[in-house]
Amino acid sequence: MTAVVAALGQPWARRLSVLGGLARFAFRAVRAAGRLSRTGRFVMLRVLVNQIRFTALQAIGLVALLSAILSFLVIAQSVRQLGRFGALERVGTIMVVAVIRELGPLLTALIVVSRSGTAIAAEMATNKVMGEVTALEAMGIDPFIYLVLPRMLGAIVSVGCLMVVFDSVALLAGYVGAATTGVHLNRYASLVLATLSAKDVWITVAKGICFGAAVALFCSYHGLAVTKGPTEIPQAVTRGVVGTIVAIFIMSAIFVAVTA
Amino acid sequence: MNEPRSSFLVQAYAFGVEGAAPLVFEALDLRDQPDHPANRFTLSVEPGTVVAAVGDEDSGVGDLGRYAMGLARPLKGRVLVFGAAIGGLPYYDLLVFRRRLGYLQLGDGLLQNLSLKDNIALPLRYASDHRLSEVEGRVAQLVEAMHLGAVAHLRPAQSNEEDRRRAALARALALDPELLVLEAPFDGLTGRAAIEILEHAARRLDGTPRTVFLTAQDLHTSVRRLIARVVRVQDGLAQDEPS
Repeated sequence: MTAVVAALGQPWARRLSVLGGLARFAFRAVRAAGRLSRTGRFVMLRVLVNQIRFTALQAIGLVALLSAILSFLVIAQSVRQLGRFGALERVGTIMVVAVIRELGPLLTALIVVSRSGTAIAAEMATNKVMGEVTALEAMGIDPFIYLVLPRMLGAIVSVGCLMVVFDSVALLAGYVGAATTGVHLNRYASLVLATLSAKDVWITVAKGICFGAAVALFCSYHGLAVTKGPTEIPQAVTRGVVGTIVAIFIMSAIFVAVTA
Repeated sequence: MNEPRSSFLVQAYAFGVEGAAPLVFEALDLRDQPDHPANRFTLSVEPGTVVAAVGDEDSGVGDLGRYAMGLARPLKGRVLVFGAAIGGLPYYDLLVFRRRLGYLQLGDGLLQNLSLKDNIALPLRYASDHRLSEVEGRVAQLVEAMHLGAVAHLRPAQSNEEDRRRAALARALALDPELLVLEAPFDGLTGRAAIEILEHAARRLDGTPRTVFLTAQDLHTSVRRLIARVVRVQDGLAQDEPS
């Protein structure tokens, strides 16, 4: 009986242990910010700008494309279906609630995970395997300051900015979708603006921070957890990406529950 | 004890005992010997001297550098660095304390995504409070001293072994540490390059001799004349070799 309970509980104990490890990891990353030297702050700013360039700037095209296609499809289909029931005014609700509030942050975070999360996990794991983390520690440099902190801040800023890009393109593409079924710009704008509120802005900001931090923390954590050798690198990348995706979906559900 | 030149380094001086030997290995268990302190490795490195520990691959000599830096802990015994038991320091204190030490790890430990120059600048940027202009000045000085001018912009993978070793040593010397720990520093180098590297390593910025502890499987005869004491690690014990 004890063996059965142990066998059932072991995977959950392991997951809880990973969660505890992640919490400690996040705490160390935040605490590292206070230990930066004057020059370190300046250099980190440069690293941060680079991170934002790789994570946000280079992903704008992809985010805009996916946002445009998604929004066009959703709104074009919705206008057709809702128009048949005389419920066209619900287009604004669908645009704001489904696309901007839920799908936008979710898809943006997924794009960042697939592009930059994989890179972060692979880079960290390589740093560890090549002995570069040990080299940093031997120099008296906290690896969290040099490796984790700029990536975490970069991911937070990038996800936030990309969400704004996603939402902006979504609103425009939504209009194009609506226009194909004969909805005038003024009508579309009034329907969307009637539903859009300041709360949506705050939710977007909060999601940007949470999803961005999740991408960097999960991927860095699993990357730096590599101990044995290069063969562990792809496993670390997989663990990091899968963990982040699960975390983002769970956080989305929590946001819905809390802000409903 | 020398005064730290950077106020950021002052924190590093909070640890250790004034006047204590720079490095002491105290009754370390390097191999499976009968458990008796008399069978354990003991060595004291005097200030301002160059001491080398040589030994076969399986002698345990390869672990001494990591023990000295607090990167690994011996199963038995302890390592005192400036009087502080380095293995017992909490993680963040250890990071701060290491600013007094320089370390050239086995291979080179250079960060692959940075140029040689940026690798040299790393400890100055993140483990000191020097201004950016001071950092650039010190890096330029080290690049010139190590004859890296023509290759400083290259990444480690684009450089040859000697240049990588020179850059790694320059990085270890960046904060002008009191104690320098070198792991197999002369592997793959010519006798002339080895002598030049050791001469740089053994002198501090103010001209005073630096304490250097190095480990190797063997030493070239030409280098031996620069080393005050050579100790052979055999059967887990330190045996002095004639200089």
